[in-house]
Amino acid sequence: MRPENYQAKNHPPSHEFELNFGPNHPGIEGNYAFKVKLNGDTVLSARADGGYLHRGFEKLMEGRLWIQNIALVPRICVPDPVPMEVCYSLAIEELGGLEVPERAQWIRVMQLEMSRLAAHLFAFGGHAATTGMYTTMFWGVADRDLILDRFEELTGGRVYSIYNIPGGVRREVPDGFLERMSSLLDYLESRLPDYDNLFFRNQVFIKRARDVGAMTQEQALKWGVTGPNLRATGLAFDVRRDDPYLVYDQLDFEIPTEPGGDALSRNLVRRSELKQSIRILRQVIERLPSIRGPIRCPIPNPLAWNVPAGESYTRVESSKGELAYYVVSTGGDKPYRVHVRGPSSMHAVQVLENLAVGSRLEDVAQIMFSLDACPPEVDR
Amino acid sequence: MSNELENIPIRQELEVLQSGQKRTNPLANVFDGLVKFCRSRSMFMLHYCTGCGAIELPPAMTSRFDMERLGIQPMVTPRQADILLITGYVSIKTLKRIILTYEQMGSPKYVIGICSCTVNGGMYWQSYATAKVLRDYLPVDVYIAGCMPRPEAVISGLRELMEDISSGRAESWKKYYQHYDYYLGNQQKLFGEDWQTPTDIIAEARHYDLMTEHTLGEHTALLEKHQKPLEALEMRLSVKDKQKV
Ligand code: SF4
Repeated sequence: MRPENYQAKNHPPSHEFELNFGPNHPGIEGNYAFKVKLNGDTVLSARADGGYLHRGFEKLMEGRLWIQNIALVPRICVPDPVPMEVCYSLAIEELGGLEVPERAQWIRVMQLEMSRLAAHLFAFGGHAATTGMYTTMFWGVADRDLILDRFEELTGGRVYSIYNIPGGVRREVPDGFLERMSSLLDYLESRLPDYDNLFFRNQVFIKRARDVGAMTQEQALKWGVTGPNLRATGLAFDVRRDDPYLVYDQLDFEIPTEPGGDALSRNLVRRSELKQSIRILRQVIERLPSIRGPIRCPIPNPLAWNVPAGESYTRVESSKGELAYYVVSTGGDKPYRVHVRGPSSMHAVQVLENLAVGSRLEDVAQIMFSLDACPPEVDR
Repeated sequence: MSNELENIPIRQELEVLQSGQKRTNPLANVFDGLVKFCRSRSMFMLHYCTGCGAIELPPAMTSRFDMERLGIQPMVTPRQADILLITGYVSIKTLKRIILTYEQMGSPKYVIGICSCTVNGGMYWQSYATAKVLRDYLPVDVYIAGCMPRPEAVISGLRELMEDISSGRAESWKKYYQHYDYYLGNQQKLFGEDWQTPTDIIAEARHYDLMTEHTLGEHTALLEKHQKPLEALEMRLSVKDKQKV
């Protein structure tokens, strides 16, 4: 029934309308929204609407001690928290002139690659779910859980470990951990052909994802795309190789690329990176027992630690792309300014807005998941 | 912290009410029990990924911890959902959407607050952008504390809710109608006094016969004051291709 004072307005008929996509929508990753303008099923324009997850991290960090912020930073990107801790620690180490023991560096590399594996399994599982292939998502989440078990054993936390501190890592690797890790890697490697058959070589996926959300290399560079999304346009750029941090220069791995620049290529790059991460982890497992020594260098009393004044900019390769921290200290016990350069802020805003134009409505979710953007990191 | 609601013995009131109405037909009591039992065993859950706690839900829902064996399934529309899961900190912008979603859900409805952030603000106690205490804005049935709670904890929280439903203790949705003025007051403090939602809670409270002296008050009076007259839906449309039409 219509309200009493309802008066129909006459509008000229049209095929254009606006649709709110998210924040509470199964096709969207996390708490994020889109306003899309449609003509039939075709997207005419898209506008990202973030801010649902804004917590004001950069401001919060100015009010807490250097060491307290370690507990805060992993929350910036929930599916891939370890690079956040490591990158922030690297920035403080650079400011404070700390020398991280070699063993700690290897342990950090191990964690980073474990986190990358977990994040990639989650990412293409999510992508599969948007195209209706829930089995892949179930498998991906289940296999990711096995990695989380190892995280729990190593650090005590399933998702947020808070294990890296400036100067090293908190705890020694438990006995027998490396053997269990190695059998986990064997298992994951044996699963890869299954994933290929189920998902990556599945015609449903290939036909849906090919040429969807495609970008050229020039566009990618102009829009600030990094990580697997950039490598899917054919450019082999990886911070791990081109600006090595920790001990990545001693490791042997490849940078997989794909030429297409579309959703299919982006997923195939992630698929190849799984293999490379397993390869890196194998090397770490082999080398770690022979590297002896402390796991962290002595730091001043963390509750009254005045980090020397200065600025530092450190970057690492997270599973989503290039992650960087710009930290300024004025010699106090708290940071003066922390800026996070997250990869998702580019991917989920300008790249997604551009790629969505001209695609069909049902592909918007696919494009978002194939970019593997992480909404909490966009909003921060 | 002052929470006015703590002084109101809502549970006793309800129990008195229920026992006063005790049905004479024994079959009716059996039937009531059966309804409650069934209700607690088939719950559709709308999870609104408000914060980081949402990352532990996929493991809890999929093969490893498998929530579906408890009869709990995700649901995409609020109209058909029974449980609203708030998975983590709520920023003020999100809180508006949560309230709209909650009011759209059909009764009986239950709210679960996952994560310490919904209990007292958690890590973000000093953040300018988050709402700290969830139960100031919505009645919460079960809290699952932890930063972040493990899937086991999530499942044990859900089991607790099931127990509460089958024993008739999970009545928070009634509280929303009975103390609407209190909740609305808190919402207005945050969003400004011209805050309006499209759902007419007061009419619904009348419909369910849940009006108390706390339903209406100074805050609900503001609702009427700021209410804009109903307008016809304004849709901006443009025609490009006249032939097509
Ligand atoms: S309690 Fe912890 S895990 Fe949960 S939303 Fe808050 S910060 Fe995130």
